Amino acid sequence: MTSAKPRCFDDFAIGDDLPSLTKGPLSTIHLVRWSAAMENWHRIHFDHPYTVEHEGLKGLLINGTFKQQFIAQLLTDWARPDGWVWKMNFQFRAMNIVGERLTLWARVANKRQAPDFGLVDVEMGIVNEHGVESTPGTAIVAFPYRHKQPLPYPFVAPVPAEIA
Amino acid sequence: MSKLELNSYIGLESEVVRSELPVEASIVRRFCQAVMDENPMYWTPNEDNRAYGGPVAPPLFPTFMFGRTFGSPDPIQLNAENPGYDGLNFSRVLPDIEPIRGYAMLNGGSEVDFFGYARHGEHVNRQARYSNIVERDTRKGRMVFVTTESDFRNPRNDLLLRVRTTLIWRPQ
Repeated sequence: MTSAKPRCFDDFAIGDDLPSLTKGPLSTIHLVRWSAAMENWHRIHFDHPYTVEHEGLKGLLINGTFKQQFIAQLLTDWARPDGWVWKMNFQFRAMNIVGERLTLWARVANKRQAPDFGLVDVEMGIVNEHGVESTPGTAIVAFPYRHKQPLPYPFVAPVPAEIA
Repeated sequence: MSKLELNSYIGLESEVVRSELPVEASIVRRFCQAVMDENPMYWTPNEDNRAYGGPVAPPLFPTFMFGRTFGSPDPIQLNAENPGYDGLNFSRVLPDIEPIRGYAMLNGGSEVDFFGYARHGEHVNRQARYSNIVERDTRKGRMVFVTTESDFRNPRNDLLLRVRTTLIWRPQ
């Protein structure tokens, strides 16, 4: 986790898989702990009778905000210490119900070059134990070129016209 | 509701709001344990956070630094006898969209741009705007997609992250 071997843009190839990340099975206790941490008490995450009878949902939902933390962890674990997760976006296309085990996957979809560092395009998602994809998304992670300067911090986004 | 009514909210921007509390180690600990990401860079000085000035909060932590402030009305107690209260308690720096008041809400997804971390001890400033509002017919009926864009900055006014979140509102 700490001070991994330095890596650079040249170390990755299109099609490479990122290390996957598994969470769960996620119980009501996990969801309540997350609700407490973020101080949001939306009942569809812990109150089963309300969720089913009032909201008409089939069970307690695993929070979208919870899943987005997992996505950020997957990407930052991979990018550190030398890369920077510049962008990530995802859609919550399907609901995940309490009790599911979530596996986050990602792979290198493309590589592009900016003048001072490289950009790795990543496609990613979250599947449950039944293989159902719920959260497709993409990300852009910046890495320095080999033997070149480290990334700027705070991160400075490249000019779109200069990305090849 | 009319399209005109909804469109009147697009572009509406909040004031800059300062987090009531700075990034605190105890809150970071609870947050990291909840998301099961106990990376040492979030709680102790080490090689990985040296370039960022020491321990930092997880990248999305600033978005959760705007909870209910001391002394403000308590929605849980105010709704203690309301069996239909949904429990939603996200921080409202923008006015509610009146035509969809009372609708049920689901999270549709987000786009996030990251530029820096919030360090322990730092406050964070937030400014939000309604960037898009559209109505769509879906398999489950007519729904309203509201996209909010929020900027989070440190006390030096460095942009830490920009988050565009789409919430989906549907009649109950």
